[in-house]
Amino acid sequence: MSTTTEPSAVADAPAAGAKAGVEAGAGRGPWRLVWDQLWAKGSARFGLITVGVLLLAAALAGPLSSLGGWTPEEFDKRAVDAYLGGLPRGDFGGISARHWLGVEPITGRDLFARVLHGGQVSLLIAFTATAVVVVAGTLAGIAAGYFGGRTDTLLSRLMDLTMSFPSLIFMIAMMSVAKDVNRILLITLVIGLFTWPGIARVVRGQTLSLKHREYVEAAKVGGARSWRILTREILPNVSGPIIAYTTLLIPGMIATEAALSYLGVGVRPPTPSWGQMIAESIVHYETDPTYFLIPTAFLFLAVLAFTLLGDALRDILDPRGGRS
Amino acid sequence: MILYLGRRLLGVAGILLAICAITFTIFYLLPNDPAAAACGKTCSPERLADVKAAMGLDKPVWDQFLAYLGGIFAGRDYGSGPSAVHCGFPCLGYSYEYGLPVWDLLTDRLPVSVSLALGAAALWLVLGLGAGVTSALRKGRPLDRTLMVVSVGTASLPVYFTSIMLIWGVVRTAGLLPYPAYHQFTENPFAWASNLLLPWTALALLYAAMYARQSRNSMIEAMSEPYIRTARAKGLPARTVTVKHGLRAGMTPILTIFGMDLGGLLAGAVITESIFGLPGVGRLFYDGLGRSDQPVILGVTLLAAFFIVAANLLVDLLYAFVDPRVRY
Amino acid sequence: MTRRTHAALAAALAATLTLGLGACKNDKSDSGGDAAPSSTKGPGAESGSVVGGTPAKGGTLTVLTNQDFAHLDPARNWVVPHMDFGTRLLYRTLTTFKAEPGAAGSEIVPDLATDLGKSSEGGKVWTFTLKDGLKYEDGSPIKSADIKYNVERSFSPDLTGGPDYAQQYLAGGESYKGPLTGEHLASIETPDEKTIVFHLKRPVAEFSDTVTLPTFSPVPQSQEKGTQYDSRPFSSGPYKIEAYDRGKQLVLVRNTNWDPATDTVRKAYPDKVVVTQGIKGGQADDRIIASDGADANAINMPWMQHETVAKVLPKADVKSRMVAERTGCTDMLYLNTAKAPFDDPKVREAMMWAVDREAQVTAFGGPAVTDVATSFLPPSLTGGATSDPLKIPAAGDPEKAKALLKEAGRTDLKVALTVSLGDKTRAEAIQQSLAKAGVQVTVNTTDPSAFADTVGDIKNAPELTINGWCPDYPSGATFLPFLFDGRTIKEKGNQGNYSQFRDQATMDRMDQIAAMTDVAEANKAWQQLDQDLMKKAPAVPLMWQRRPLLVGTNVAGAFGNSGYAGMIDLAVVGLKDPAKGKG
Repeated sequence: MSTTTEPSAVADAPAAGAKAGVEAGAGRGPWRLVWDQLWAKGSARFGLITVGVLLLAAALAGPLSSLGGWTPEEFDKRAVDAYLGGLPRGDFGGISARHWLGVEPITGRDLFARVLHGGQVSLLIAFTATAVVVVAGTLAGIAAGYFGGRTDTLLSRLMDLTMSFPSLIFMIAMMSVAKDVNRILLITLVIGLFTWPGIARVVRGQTLSLKHREYVEAAKVGGARSWRILTREILPNVSGPIIAYTTLLIPGMIATEAALSYLGVGVRPPTPSWGQMIAESIVHYETDPTYFLIPTAFLFLAVLAFTLLGDALRDILDPRGGRS
Repeated sequence: MILYLGRRLLGVAGILLAICAITFTIFYLLPNDPAAAACGKTCSPERLADVKAAMGLDKPVWDQFLAYLGGIFAGRDYGSGPSAVHCGFPCLGYSYEYGLPVWDLLTDRLPVSVSLALGAAALWLVLGLGAGVTSALRKGRPLDRTLMVVSVGTASLPVYFTSIMLIWGVVRTAGLLPYPAYHQFTENPFAWASNLLLPWTALALLYAAMYARQSRNSMIEAMSEPYIRTARAKGLPARTVTVKHGLRAGMTPILTIFGMDLGGLLAGAVITESIFGLPGVGRLFYDGLGRSDQPVILGVTLLAAFFIVAANLLVDLLYAFVDPRVRY
Repeated sequence: MTRRTHAALAAALAATLTLGLGACKNDKSDSGGDAAPSSTKGPGAESGSVVGGTPAKGGTLTVLTNQDFAHLDPARNWVVPHMDFGTRLLYRTLTTFKAEPGAAGSEIVPDLATDLGKSSEGGKVWTFTLKDGLKYEDGSPIKSADIKYNVERSFSPDLTGGPDYAQQYLAGGESYKGPLTGEHLASIETPDEKTIVFHLKRPVAEFSDTVTLPTFSPVPQSQEKGTQYDSRPFSSGPYKIEAYDRGKQLVLVRNTNWDPATDTVRKAYPDKVVVTQGIKGGQADDRIIASDGADANAINMPWMQHETVAKVLPKADVKSRMVAERTGCTDMLYLNTAKAPFDDPKVREAMMWAVDREAQVTAFGGPAVTDVATSFLPPSLTGGATSDPLKIPAAGDPEKAKALLKEAGRTDLKVALTVSLGDKTRAEAIQQSLAKAGVQVTVNTTDPSAFADTVGDIKNAPELTINGWCPDYPSGATFLPFLFDGRTIKEKGNQGNYSQFRDQATMDRMDQIAAMTDVAEANKAWQQLDQDLMKKAPAVPLMWQRRPLLVGTNVAGAFGNSGYAGMIDLAVVGLKDPAKGKG
């Protein structure tokens, strides 16, 4: 997803789907190197594999859940006990050969199918919101850093202003007063709206330091247009930190979506998302802990894996971030 | 310095004004009608118009905004005739749901949120920075690895999960603490602290984990700066170098983040407050959403923005003392 | 009851942002369960039972609730749990409901008035006389002008949210804007301090019921504080407000000027009532189950979460502390008869067979707290017996539905179902059961506060919607005409007849029944009409809810009052041992 921000890298995303963001524009030297370094590090490898598995599972949610024999909306009355307030029959939330991860209380819907489809929604929001943030942040950052002067002042003020907003409170408020609109689109835009300045600042800083390098000056003297310099000289050189920062943004996005849905202002049922599933399961945490723990575990794993991966990428691509 | 301060204060005022305007506009444009919500479901069009007028929502947005701004500085009256209510300086609007000025509601709830935020902040600073600095100084050793594994794991847990587990473990199962309820510090400091212990822990765990990671990175970076090497080369004791130079430089970026985080929390931790049933600003806000109480929503947003901006300003001023490189 | 159901429903939904249930008055009789199919007889608490025996005087009763009161100002209080609280503890009304379990709870008795009111001019003029010795919390006497004053207040655009019966019924109410402007309403006369006369626009035979509403309680003009009256209503009941920290805590103490000799209903057992607000629903239930310390004296408000049923039923001692009185409401799936495909009676009949009502019951806590509905009229309106004219299995019969659809020539139906957010599980259950009959349903959830507007806009109304209806008092006249009389359909803000059902035969019959003078005959006629309507299928009755409520181990005299839609009757609840649970 994040590759969309990089015009030069979009062309040939490699086959290893999960690692698209990392391997974008791979096959060549530096990316191969990054890959090797990532793989060499235990925590990064764990992150990489988990991210890969989760993405794959979310992408293939449909076929995978039909493998289990259930669609996410399908009720199974036989799996719950109406006389016990709709608790799943059997231990551990009704985990059985029939329902691999048990069922939702009351409805008897298959948790395996639901958690995969929920992941689809959660990850979709996280990725599109990240894409929005990265595009907006990179454009603003490069523009501010490269053009300087008034553009810089204006954009920097805008960044200051945006960062002064109490983002979570504002997101909740906007999500709750906007009714009957596409929730997924809205949540993406609202998250994006408040998150872009972070990356914009990073990019602006990088651009500022690149602007006066010899090769950029050389290109300028050579009569290259701004656009060309930006896309050919500046962008490729800030892409490392952008990728690292992007990966580190994703867990935050996943968590934000979950928090908004948890508060009841995010994704609306019947669309499942991890946050929304947790919100629904929380009342059952004692009577049916499995139901509560399964979406939580997925959320936890996703956030953890993206964080580990992002940490490692930052160490490799942006060494000032802590690796000496 | 004074000139700088003046310029910053002006900037703060500008930002707050802009936030106020943007928030106001967004709420005005969104398809949400507090008059209809207040009037109830059986509201006839005529009565709705009356209610709108009574709540001052029939005027153009520009007039409403100016009246709102004016109210902040000079106070204002809501309604007219004998039913009019005075909302004194600083009037952040009047909640028709509660029948009280928003400012009164905010000041009533603020002690709870401030208690929660400050207590949690103290806890997470001790835990987070302790773990982070320890890790940084033992970089690559088993202790560092363990701490980092624990912190990255904790940071990945959503706060509602931690909160529920704390309630379940400490209150429901072990019965060590009561269900949290807010007690005033001035009345019973012990009850205040023991009731806030769980919410503090829930919040602090999350932040401590993030701070541990950040302070570790920051510290490692600081310790690799040339002037540290110089200091070492001068033969200063390792302890002096670490504490006087490394820690100082390493903590500077943390201060910025801390300012933002604390500023954001002072105006209410929505999730934590609602799970633990604490009557803070965050819950006031969340309840306000359910009641379409726009003055409250707007008021909390502004208060939160104020805290963030103020915290930023304070942090910038503190830099002068912490980081010798910063001069105005 | 009509409007009140919706206001109450919407307010309750908006207030909790979570699960919504209908809230309304009803009459119910506890014998209904016997006639119900055995599958609907739950192992839960039977209705009509009292938990904890007779209370002793004294002690502190705790109320655990998630939210602040919507409004305690009697001119604005229109949410059932809060009406129960206000009219049972803080202010008295002209008449009120009996404090009795079972069906008797919906009978009305005089409260401030000496009788149930005298009507003249064919029910257009109603006169009430106040009892002697009635006092406010400061010892000053309650005058008839004070009741007039509060009724007038309910017209004020500043004082929103309250019942609008006064505006509906009183002559000259159309242009009146409340007493805050200094104007008064000529259609309420107070010839002396003890008498109040209401002049209505049209005959209202059940006006004695109407004056149970908080609108008809006294507020002296000297206590007027506009919108701020909400935070400190002036007491005419057994308790007064000692402290009210909005959103946090409300403390009631005895009103020493309340004279029990003037009050046949309220017992006022506890010395003190403490309402602790802001406790998450599940936590309130957990605390009451555990009943540690002060929680032994606790009751919950508005009601127990359905998820808690699983914690309560397996434990006999906890189960014995659960009350589940019938709400008296019928929840229905409305079929929009104004457009295809539900303009075809055959397709509607198919829906009757397609819907799995068992799944609906499961979604609301299971058979322990909810019953499958088999007709529009709840058992309270059918003489206690359950009417089941169609004999459709509770789980539905998708094959039969398919066959009916095939007959109608509609085999691949695609329809939309719009519900309020809190009803989404039920909607999904409908979606599932209709899918089995080959009907594809798209579920749209709306914000609770926007629900009425969305489904009430008849041009854009969805094919299907779910809502409930509750009678105001035990008569089919408060039920069927509001649901299926085509003349009540409005362009915007349409309520009740969400099916947009216009059937001349039905309307004619309704007029005939309304003209009947023999109540028993009329009731029988309503029941017959109910059965006829089941065959015309303008809607599918889904379930008859009960109100699950849980009380602490030290609480006594707790039962659901059917007059308050099954809420615990706060007039007579108290503690077993007043010395216990101080902590």
